[in-house]
Order: sequence, then structure tokens, then C-alpha cells
Amino acid sequence: MNRIRLFFRYGNIGYLFVLPAMLYMLALVGYPIVSNFILSVQDVTVTTLNAPVKPFVGLRNYRMLFADGVLQTSLVNTFVFTCCCIVFQFIIGFALALFFNRDFSFAKPIRGLLMIPWMIPMTVTALMFKFMFSSNVGIINQFLQSWGMIGQPIEWLLQPQLAMFSLIVANIWIGIPFNMILISTGLTTIPPELNEAAAIDGANKRQSFFYITLPMLKPVIESVLLLGFIYTFKVFDLVFVMTNGGPVNSTHLLSTYSYKLSFTLFKYSQGAATANILFIILFAVSVMYLRFVYDDKGAA
Amino acid sequence: MAYKRNSDTLNRITLCAVSLIVFAVLMFPLYWMLVTSFKKEIEIFQVPPTLFPSVLNTDSYFAQLKHGDFNMFGSFKNSFVISFCAMLISLVLAIPASYGIARFQFRGKRLCILSFLVTQMLPVSVLLTPMFILFKNLHLLNKQFSAILSDATIGIPFSVLILMSYFASIPKELEDASRIDGCNRFSAFLRVFLPIASPGVIVCAVFSFLYGWGDLAYGMTFLQDQKMRPITAGIFNFMGQYGTKWSYLTAFAVVTIIPVVLIFVFMQKYIISGLTSGAVKG
Repeated sequence: MNRIRLFFRYGNIGYLFVLPAMLYMLALVGYPIVSNFILSVQDVTVTTLNAPVKPFVGLRNYRMLFADGVLQTSLVNTFVFTCCCIVFQFIIGFALALFFNRDFSFAKPIRGLLMIPWMIPMTVTALMFKFMFSSNVGIINQFLQSWGMIGQPIEWLLQPQLAMFSLIVANIWIGIPFNMILISTGLTTIPPELNEAAAIDGANKRQSFFYITLPMLKPVIESVLLLGFIYTFKVFDLVFVMTNGGPVNSTHLLSTYSYKLSFTLFKYSQGAATANILFIILFAVSVMYLRFVYDDKGAA
Repeated sequence: MAYKRNSDTLNRITLCAVSLIVFAVLMFPLYWMLVTSFKKEIEIFQVPPTLFPSVLNTDSYFAQLKHGDFNMFGSFKNSFVISFCAMLISLVLAIPASYGIARFQFRGKRLCILSFLVTQMLPVSVLLTPMFILFKNLHLLNKQFSAILSDATIGIPFSVLILMSYFASIPKELEDASRIDGCNRFSAFLRVFLPIASPGVIVCAVFSFLYGWGDLAYGMTFLQDQKMRPITAGIFNFMGQYGTKWSYLTAFAVVTIIPVVLIFVFMQKYIISGLTSGAVKG
């Protein structure tokens, strides 16, 4: 007892504060991650879920998933979805950040209000876009038709590539405010004297953008892109509600495919294996992001 | 000079006009949802679409109250209970943890920070299946407690990281002064540090609540009984059952985002600070 008191008295008192949160996270995040790995090398389905000893099958789940083929589709989809979303939400977000960085009375309130899409539950966003893209009542078809751009209504959510396109549009809408606000914050850290000095030296607006703004924003841009990748790569709700992977498994992401395996088909081990692949990719990117943030801090 | 001022005002007016157009375009989906919820089902199918309901129809909202075959307000309450409890857990655990990390040196501190950072980036899908089995073994399935416990795992790392920088920014002299005045470490924490960090605490409360409010995966997976489920899962169920009854569906969605919009209106300052500090420093 005395030793315990002594341990906490000098310097180590920090542990006492951190311990409850640490234990909570270990039980509800650490343990599940480990058990997800174990699950993925066992054969657990709805019939063996209650068995005391679960059969060990090695990498069979992974082999079966690859043989089935939907896993590859979801893997490709996840990358396509993520890359398309990042590119467009970054460009639009950047443009808006530059625009709202100018000095006019509406700039701040409107920029603030534009954050709403990022805050609302993705389920609602998914419902909204499902409605707008619906083939018979969707406003998008109604507009296109009334302008005479299409004859027949387009079945946005019922054709694989168009469905993917619709998902990407919806997710870009969510991602724009996130990119905008982070880049806006980055812009405010650039001292205005730099641009003034450049202007005196005869630089035009384009030059000062490419030679001052962009280089100064480099760390912000890198972290926005990496974070955007992380957040987009793990999107679940949006796709689950809008298409649920359909038509015929063509728009599954790793997250929704894993959910389907576990909770529709009750192949828990295969679901866990799919989730593991998602985890490993995200973990690698997260480590990259963290190293980058730490390097940045070290330099500063 | 006068000319210059004129062109300046003109310039500003153009900027304001452009910003309104940008706003209108980006907010259109939300407007469209709101308008649709007040339309009659026939009007929704009308071509060309009407930008404003010809008759203001509130049936989509009140029908839910009357027959309540799908209790929108019941699931609203569920969501509120789940998010609020998850928020409390997050705050109770994250406040001391962030204080400990910011004010004390101990072995493994760096690892501790890193693990919080990594959990913040974890996909929900990785935890779903093992958590499902865990809660099943603990007989917590179909109890709201399971959703509360799992939602808090999103709020905790976020809150720890935000508050850590708040506590770290408070000068050490303040602690020394409070110790001289007779506080011990715990009362210094309660009486000096916590009040100073209260804006950070509000940011964490807001975000932890919103994480819980927006969650679909946990609530839907661990709670099978519709009476227990949060509102996001309610919408999803409703879509399955009344797939094309858009007036009802949009009304359901509008009710879901009311608290989010209210929080946003009153706490905008905190939300933006949470977003930027959480992401850039995090």
C-alpha cells in the first residue's frame, strides 16, 4: 500500500488522472481491435457464435473474400470514392476559403453558416440526396428534363457508375465546409505584410498566390488532404443509407461490405476480415499523418 | 479619390451578392428538404417542381403524433438520452485525462497521446463486429447502455486532445500561486484550471453530443428494438418501410436536424474553434 502511495506521490500522479479514460478506451477500443484480428482468423458465423471454442482457420476468410470478388470491387470503390471526393472538395473548399478571406460584411456570417452541412447527421444528408437523385421525383431529373437536356429520366441510383457518381456528389457536399474552414484558418496565419511587400516588388495576384500563399499554406494543405483521406475512407452511413452497396454490390465500400457480411449474412469472421483490411490501410495513413504533424512541430 | 471609394463599395456589393449566390447553391439541398416536408404528396410529384409549397401542409409532422405507428418523437427522445449520456461519460473521463497529460510528466505519456490520436481516426466498422459480440456476451444488446458506451469512444479521444491544449496553455505560475494559497493538486484542478478551461469543455460537450446524435452504425447494430433506437436509425427504418413517402421522410429528417441547427446557432463560435483546433493540431 505504502509503495503504491509512494509511486503516485512523485511525478507519477499523472497516471491517476489518465487511468480511467485509458482503461475505458482499452476495454472498448483496444480490446475490440485485437479481438477483430482474432475473429478474422477464426470461423465465426451465426451457428458458432455461442460455441465456447471457435475453430481456427488461418487466412481462409481472406482467401474466400478475394475469391468471391466483391472485396476487390469494394477496395477499388473505396479508393475511387475517396480520391474523387478529396480532389473536388479540396478545390471547391480552397476557392471558397480564398473568396471568404476577402474583406466584406457578409464574409464571416456566411462562411459560418456554410458549416452546417458538415454538422448534420450523415443519415439525413443521405436521405436528402437520395430524394434529389431519385428518378421519378428527384429535382435533378426534373430540372434536366425541363431544360430539355435529357429526354428520359435518368436512374441515378440504379446504375452502378451513376450511383457511385451520386454518392461522390453527396460526400463532396459534406466535405466542402471542412476543407474551407481549415484552409481559411491557414490563410489567416499568413502575415499580410508578405503580400504587400510582394505587391510593392511588382508581383501580380497570380504570382503572389503561387509564390506566397501556396508555399505558406503547404503544411495546412498537407494535413487537410491527409485528414480528408482518413475521414472519407471510412465513410459508412452515407453509402449505407443511399445505396446500401447496390445495385448488385457495385457501390460497396469496405465499410459497408464489412457491415453486410457481419450483420446481413451473419458471416462475422469475414466481416471482421474486411474491416481489418480497412483498418490496416487507415492505420498506415494515420501514422503518416501523425509523423507529418510531429515533424512539423519539431521544425517549428 | 471619390471615384476610388465608389468602385470600392461597388466591389463589396458584388462580393456580397456572389457570396449570397454561393450560399443559396450550397444550402439548396437543406432548403429543398424543408420545403418538401411542408408539401402535400401530390405536389411533390408535380412537374415543373414548385419552389415553395402552394398550401402549407403540416400533416407530415402531425401525422406522426396522431397514429404514431412510427414514433418520431420517441426516437428523438432516445437519441437525446443516448447522446447526452455519452457526452457525460466523455467529459467525466476526458477532463481529468487531458489535465493529467498536460500538467504532469510520466512514462508512456507520448504513447498515451498517440493512442488517443489514432483512435480518433479509427473507422467505426472495425469496432462494430467485435463490439457486437462483446455486448452480446455482456447481455447489453438491446439496451441503450450499449449505444451510450460505444458512442462515448468517439467523444473521449476528441475531448482529450482538445482539452490537452487548453490545459497546457495555462501558465504554470498559476498553479504555483494556487498551491501557495493552500490548494492541493486536486483543488487546484477544480478551482483554478477547470474554470479557465471552460470554453474548451463546452467545445468538447458540443462535439461529444453531436457525435452521439449523428451516429447510425452503433445505434442500429446494438439496438434491435425500434422503441429503443435513436432517431437516425428511426429514419433508416422508416425509409425501408415508407420508401417513397417523401413528405413524411423529409419531415423526419427536419426534426432530426433541429437540435443540430439550434446548437449551431447558439454555439457557432465553439464549433468552429473545435473543428479547427481538433483537426490542425490533432
